[in-house]
Amino acid sequence: MLEVKGVCAGYGRVQVLWDVDLTVSANEIVALVGPNGAGKTTLLRALSGMVPIRDGSVTFLGEDITGRSIERIVDLGISHVPEGRRLFPGLTVKDNLRLGGWRNRNTDIDRVIDLFPKLGDRLSQVTGSMSGGEQQMCAIARGLMGKPDLIMIDELSMGLAPVIVEEIIGRLADIAASGTAVLLVEQDVDAALTVAERAYVMETGRVVMSGNAGVLLADPRIQQSYLGIA
Amino acid sequence: MTGFLQATVYGLLQGGLLALVAVGFSLVWGVMNVVNLSHGAFVVLGAYVGWQLNTSLGLDPFLGMVIVALVLFCIGYAVQRFLINLVVNGPIFITLLLTFGLELLLVQGMNIVFTANYQSIPTSYAGNAIVLGGIQVPLGRLLAFLLAVGITVLLVKVMANTRIGMSIMATGMDRGAARLMGIRARHVYALTFGIATALAGMAGTMVGTVGTFNPAAAGGFTLLSFVIAVLGGLGNMYGAMVGGLLMGLVQAWGGYYLSGTWVNALAFLVLVIVLMFRPSGLVGKAFYAARVEV
Repeated sequence: MLEVKGVCAGYGRVQVLWDVDLTVSANEIVALVGPNGAGKTTLLRALSGMVPIRDGSVTFLGEDITGRSIERIVDLGISHVPEGRRLFPGLTVKDNLRLGGWRNRNTDIDRVIDLFPKLGDRLSQVTGSMSGGEQQMCAIARGLMGKPDLIMIDELSMGLAPVIVEEIIGRLADIAASGTAVLLVEQDVDAALTVAERAYVMETGRVVMSGNAGVLLADPRIQQSYLGIA
Repeated sequence: MTGFLQATVYGLLQGGLLALVAVGFSLVWGVMNVVNLSHGAFVVLGAYVGWQLNTSLGLDPFLGMVIVALVLFCIGYAVQRFLINLVVNGPIFITLLLTFGLELLLVQGMNIVFTANYQSIPTSYAGNAIVLGGIQVPLGRLLAFLLAVGITVLLVKVMANTRIGMSIMATGMDRGAARLMGIRARHVYALTFGIATALAGMAGTMVGTVGTFNPAAAGGFTLLSFVIAVLGGLGNMYGAMVGGLLMGLVQAWGGYYLSGTWVNALAFLVLVIVLMFRPSGLVGKAFYAARVEV
């Protein structure tokens, strides 16, 4: 469904991504892990059009989306839950969700509330005053309001308690099963590789390992570098 | 006492009109972080369009306002889409320079086309007055006041309850996140500017019916808009209303008790005092505190 071939991208004169290849199939959960500064966030930003792609190509559902505008890529069915969540802080949960469905005029918030029932009690609360976990739920729910074919979630666990992370990550399988593939960028390698089917490991702007998530999880190099198992 | 009441009534009526002059300025500043120095020129341009419709077609200015709004909306939309959008993400100094240049162009252009003579848009009824307990309420001013307040309230409702309003609000809070929702930020900016110039133009036409105007008045309207927007709270449309009414009252009372030149000093004194005690304006900044710069 999503096919990334030889993508190079960066900011100004600094090149961050070098020749990145990656694929995501329909209804699949794919994890993207790696240390800080590996280029994971930049890759998501390049895929959603926030960072210009210098070389290589991105194909989504058979259409070349390299160099397309952010808005056009959203139209085609890629939703990006950005780093730091970027909710509209002065607005309520309900308004944030409605804005998520702005483009496709989707006002049916029940579907995403089913996924995150906690949000149901918070509909009229201003998002700026909610806990980090609730904000992340709201951000993902907002991303799903556009009924995307692919949702890209950046740093899902950032600043959240492990129990909350587990709760949110537990919903990813439901999201994938309902027809939205998930590309998950995550620092919590253990959690990410457990929920994902396939994974990519990035270091200094390049994909250094990829494959079945279970196999990667058992790989001694992963265990040593990311899981602290000697 | 009657003199004071008369000044108060006059100030309130004038204040409502000033609110409509300023509300677009505040909207543009709040949503795009652009201090639009050409705002006053659009007020005057609106007055001239209304005047032209009246002199050549005999159209009543309060009806002609609809056409004025349409014309000014189109001009504003194009100016933002093809000009200000080019630098809207640049440092505020660049947008200040650009809108300042635009103001010069518009004002000099109007000087050439309409001459620098004072004009006004005459109606048969604007000069008539209702007399309530010895206080004169001129019909034209009352009509302008009611319309100005009505339009401002309508604008607030549109912002809060419609699809377009929501997209404008979201873009004002976080442009990047709004784009990730599929909202066309460039189009939204152009719409916002178009709405602002349409409101300015309508206000201008009404200014023309209750008083006189010439191209040189543009700078004064920009300055007033600035003071009113900051007084009420940036980007806050009700703030512009409160700021406008206060400014109208201050000017009227100042004019009643003090000699002419002191009135402007008084207006700024009020601004300084308000900001000392309420730095975010009387009503509070709208999404300014919550805004994210990308």
